[in-house]
Parts: sequence; C-alpha cells; structure tokens
Amino acid sequence: MTTLEKLKEILCECKGEDIDITPETNFDELEFDSLDKVDIVMQIEEAYDISLGENLQLSTVGELIAKIDEAVANK
Amino acid sequence: MQTKLTRLLGIRYPVIQGGMAWIADASLASAVSNAGGLGIISAMNAGADFVREEIRKCRAMTDKPFGVNIMLLSPHVEEVAQMVAEEKVPVVTTGAGNPLRFVKLWKEAGTRILPVVASTALAKMVERAGVDAVIAEGGESGGHVGDLTTMALVPQVVDAVHIPVVAAGGIGDGRGVVAAFALGACGVQMGTRFLVAKECTVSDAYKKKVLAAKDISTMVTGRRLGHPVRAIKNSYMNAYAKLEADSNVPDEELEKFGVGSLRKAAKDGNAEEGCFLAGQIAGMVSREQTAAEIVSEVMEQAEAMMEGVKWDV
Ligand SMILES: Cc1cc2nc3c(=O)[nH]c(=O)nc-3n(C[C@H](O)[C@H](O)[C@H](O)COP(=O)(O)O)c2cc1C
Repeated sequence: MTTLEKLKEILCECKGEDIDITPETNFDELEFDSLDKVDIVMQIEEAYDISLGENLQLSTVGELIAKIDEAVANK
Repeated sequence: MQTKLTRLLGIRYPVIQGGMAWIADASLASAVSNAGGLGIISAMNAGADFVREEIRKCRAMTDKPFGVNIMLLSPHVEEVAQMVAEEKVPVVTTGAGNPLRFVKLWKEAGTRILPVVASTALAKMVERAGVDAVIAEGGESGGHVGDLTTMALVPQVVDAVHIPVVAAGGIGDGRGVVAAFALGACGVQMGTRFLVAKECTVSDAYKKKVLAAKDISTMVTGRRLGHPVRAIKNSYMNAYAKLEADSNVPDEELEKFGVGSLRKAAKDGNAEEGCFLAGQIAGMVSREQTAAEIVSEVMEQAEAMMEGVKWDV
C-alpha cells in the first residue's frame, strides 16, 4: 500500500464517506475540525510508528506524504 | 477521600474547580483550595503581569496547591506559559488545543500538567508528551464544548490512556461524582456549580441567571466558526444563533458580534448583551454557598453513596 493509499484510507474513515484525494488536495478544502486533525495525525503516527513533530501544519496531502515518507526513512 | 488524583496533586478531595474566563480569579481559586479541592485561576486572554498578580494574591490567601488554566489560543500564551514556570505554579490545566510545546518547560518547573481533552486521540497525544493526567470534558459543560458527552467520552478516554482521568461536564453533586468514578475517572472538575460560590466574584446578574436556570435553559452557538460555546439562552444568544444560521452574514461579522460578550456578562452583568456561559447542570444549581460548603456537600453525598463499595480510584 502506498502512503497516498494509506492516507486516503485514514481520511475517508475520518470523514465517514469516500472522498477523492490527490497529492494536490489542500486540507482546507477537506474541512476537518481540530479534533479530526488530531485523530488523523495520531492514526498516521501509530500506523507508521513515527512522530510528525509538535508543530505540524497540514497544508496539502502531497506535503504530508513527503513528511511521512521522510519520518519513515529516518526511523 | 484519597484517589489517584488527590495523591497526584496533594489535595484532600478529588474536586477541581475548572478555569473560567473572566471569572475564576484568586478569590474563588483560593477558597476552593482552602476547602480541600483544587482551585484554578483563569489566564484566559490576559497578559503575564495580570496573571502573576492573581497568582500572588492566591498565594497570600492559601498555602494549599492551586492551578492556572491556560487558554492555548491566547495571544499571550508564550509569556504566560513562561511566567507560570517561573512562579512554579503547582498545577496547570490547558484548554483549546494541544500543549505539547510547553510540556518540557512546565515539567522542569515541577508543575503538574492536566490538559482538557475532548477526544481519545488528543488524550493519547498528550499522554505521550508526558503530561500527568487528563481532564475529559463532555459537551454538557459550560464554556467551549466538544460534541461528545461526558457519559460517552470518559470511559473511552479511560481505556485509551494509562494516566489518571478527571471527568468534567454536567457534574454538580455527589451523584455526578459517583457516576464519574463508575466510568473510571478518579476525580471531577466542576465549573457551573462554582459560579454561584460566595467567593466567586462574577456579577450578581450572572449568579441570578444560573440560579434561575432549568434543565433546558442553555444552548450552543458558534459551531459555524469552529468554536462552539454553551451559554444560557438570552437575547444575545438568540441573536447570535440567528446571524449564524443566515448564510448572508459573513463570518467576520459573526466574529465581531461576539467580541466583549463574556466580559459584559461576567463583569457588567449585562443581561441582554452578555454571553452567560454555563453548563446543562445549571438547572440543578439552586443555592449560593461558600466554596467549602459546595465541596463538602458534594463529597459527603458521594462518600455516603459509595459506603461499602470498594472501587479502585
Ligand atoms: C463560565 C465558564 C467559563 C469557562 N471558561 C473556561 C476557560 O477559560 N478555560 C477552560 O479550559 N475551561 C473553561 N470552562 C470549562 C470549565 O473549566 C469546566 O471544565 C466546565 O465548566 C465543567 O462542566 P460544568 O460546567 O458542567 O461543571 C468554563 C466554564 C464555564 C461555566
């Protein structure tokens, strides 16, 4: 499973419906509230056994994927 | 009564008086701490000097542990966070966000850290950062609210973390305390009930509104801007709800409409234009009492109900 696929799974689960996401999708468009975002970060960190840091800003899906891949590579 | 919470904080009863913006000052906090609970001073949006002054006043009135509630969205959060570490405040509670970036600073100052959480993911995240306990607050409460209720949230947070859990939201007497224990919490935080404490310096109009409130007297507004609050229905709240539902009203106008409303309620007692934050339990709060009377009445009722029951709290 690619990081994009895994992320899509997490985001869809959080939304409660299937949503289309691409690396260009911006988190603002997805309208997650602050608790959703905490939940998403926690799920990613647990799935990959990584830490995304304390000051994570969610911008685009592509940037988040890059951060996840980097954290996994540095494990 | 001793629980994990009383041992953690060095207090007599497992009762915390929640931070309340514009309301919870040294007078209320010291009274609750002297009564054997944990009193809390609200830092709200104030600057460090204002909060330091309240801390010193509180220290002059009690030698018991007390806390400061830090609103993480405050424009002065950095300086206030630094100041409470310098002052070696015994306990910090945090609201409206994730306090990860301050955990190290406060731990080094010997401060106990209890973030307010409204979901299991946030509880797990702050546990990992090394906080001492979490306060799981349900949407029955007054002030900023999440969606989950205390009944559903508390046991799920208890299962999600290994640190002590304090229950908040909708607790107003000994029955609520016992219910919290039954859900796996080891203490409670109350806000609404302490609004009418004799030592609470909030306006008389505010106390009157809380005392007169019944079960269905509160409502929630502010969902559209992403920070819903529960307050007592009045002309301000009804007008806000109308504006909020009107899609022709831009967010900025809504934001502007709310400015100053907390102060108008707490300080000026402006019954029409004030935002009187209070929880659903306000309907059960019917007497002004001293903080000591509130704490001992609540705990005596809880202990009587728990007599003979052996619980691991
Ligand atoms: C008037 C009022 C103001 C509040 N202000 C704050 C605040 O500034 N920061 C915070 O973390 N919680 C705040 N709260 C929440 C309380 O600390 C507490 O968790 C809550 O009142 C518990 O629920 P209850 O009202 O049902 O007792 C406030 C509550 C009330 C009633």
